[in-house]
Amino acid sequence: MSVVAADRCSKWYGHVLGVSDVTWNLQGGIVGLLGPNGAGKSTLIKMMAGLLRPSRGTLSVFGASPFADVGVRRRIGYAPEHESTWDELTARELVTVMARLAGVPADRAPTAAERAIAEMGMTDAIDRRVKGFSKGMRQRTKLATAIAHDPDFLLLDEPLTGVDPVARVDIVDRIKKLAEAGKTIVISSHVLYEIEALTSEIVVIYRGQVLAEGNVYEIRKLIDRHPHRIRVECDQPRALASVLAAEDHVARIIFERAGVLIETRDPDRCYDQLAAAVLDKGITVSSLSSPDNNLGAVFEYLTGDGRR
Amino acid sequence: MKHEVPTAAATTLTMAALTLKRLARGRVLWVGAIIAALPVMFGALLRARRGPEPAALGDLLWFATLLIAVLPGLFVASSVGEDIEDRTTTYLWSRPVQRGAIVIGKLVAILPILWVLVLASWAASTQVGAQLAPTPNALLAVAGGVTAAAMIAAALATLVPRHGLALTTVYMLFIDFPIGALPASLRYISVSHHVHTIASVRGRAADAPSLAAIALGVICVVWLAIALRRISRLEA
Repeated sequence: MSVVAADRCSKWYGHVLGVSDVTWNLQGGIVGLLGPNGAGKSTLIKMMAGLLRPSRGTLSVFGASPFADVGVRRRIGYAPEHESTWDELTARELVTVMARLAGVPADRAPTAAERAIAEMGMTDAIDRRVKGFSKGMRQRTKLATAIAHDPDFLLLDEPLTGVDPVARVDIVDRIKKLAEAGKTIVISSHVLYEIEALTSEIVVIYRGQVLAEGNVYEIRKLIDRHPHRIRVECDQPRALASVLAAEDHVARIIFERAGVLIETRDPDRCYDQLAAAVLDKGITVSSLSSPDNNLGAVFEYLTGDGRR
Repeated sequence: MKHEVPTAAATTLTMAALTLKRLARGRVLWVGAIIAALPVMFGALLRARRGPEPAALGDLLWFATLLIAVLPGLFVASSVGEDIEDRTTTYLWSRPVQRGAIVIGKLVAILPILWVLVLASWAASTQVGAQLAPTPNALLAVAGGVTAAAMIAAALATLVPRHGLALTTVYMLFIDFPIGALPASLRYISVSHHVHTIASVRGRAADAPSLAAIALGVICVVWLAIALRRISRLEA
């Protein structure tokens, strides 16, 4: 049985489209849900968590509707994107209450909460109130509330947002351990490398639609086939252009007021040749940037919107 | 370790404990206590102005019904509405619980606090203002009134979470109270009318206190049903 089975599932908020015509089957493992802000990731996750009903089509988790079937939700652990919690509570109290509401018996809930908090590396702050927690600590506490009842299926909505790099590595390791323990995990992010650190299986979602699904390296190739733009502000734009113009991966060079905008189909090669040209010609570069580092721009390429 | 779906009773008790803990650590309880002290001050003021003549119970009950308009909104509508507005409901509704039990749990925690505040306020204000011990009828009326207003607050908070407190207060002051004073059968949907009838302060011969108590019960059930129906259909 599929963990998640969505069949032509759509969700509207009034006239605003959240998710459109999604057909998707998840058998297990850890899957990254990738898309820019507003793409529909949270809507899809909320439907899987039983917080939203599909406007059209069906979505089932373990064969049942998570919105209508209370029982199936005991197998789901959900960490929302937002930071709101009951800040008056300590981490121990919050996770214990969530464990109780997930069906853990009263005598076992405190132990389950302690274990979950320890798994998220928060034991030192277990009796501190959530009100004083940093963003990273809040994320860990949210994850502890999601795992305290030992669910089979975890839904983690942007769990790495706003977390410092050190904490990020730690949280990624802890999520990987949960996957190794046999949990099915769906994790959303708008940052490709965050997802890549966790899994190679991704679903790309954009403007409410599933754009691509599969191995992250295949999707990377798909992204790389489209021209990638590099903006170089320098003192000798013509010299730089003359070196790169002959390269087969360079699709176009546009001269701008303070430099050049290069469109390439092979960003890695282009960056290497750019560095070599700068050194050979003694070019002074004042700025190097890529408008395509924004994931939304890449998705626009994939959907064809970028060419309009 | 796999667990069963929690029973409605277990969910209710867990939510009640959570609500009490939050109240104990928040400011609402203190604000409520200060508001509950106002009728006592009003009673003292009336007593001081009238000299040796005690204040009329009707005047005091009028002020007590103002508490019924404000306190349930402050406690119930805030508690229910804030969870929906702040999206903390996403934690609750993603759990295997009956959503109705979440609202019931909040009411189980809050209603005793409201009863204590309003009844203590009523008892103290009649003692100070009229130098009388409160009658059992009046105590029942005030307790029934605050219960019905709590149900109204719960329903309005699920319908308009952001403005639950304001709407409850406005509803009670500008719809329920005027309707209750009407010499028409429409007054039977008014909480304040039944409170005055049960307390034997106002009402016609046809308005027996026992019937008013039943009517108050019906009002409670109808508004609670609206709250439970609405919460079960809400999306986060």
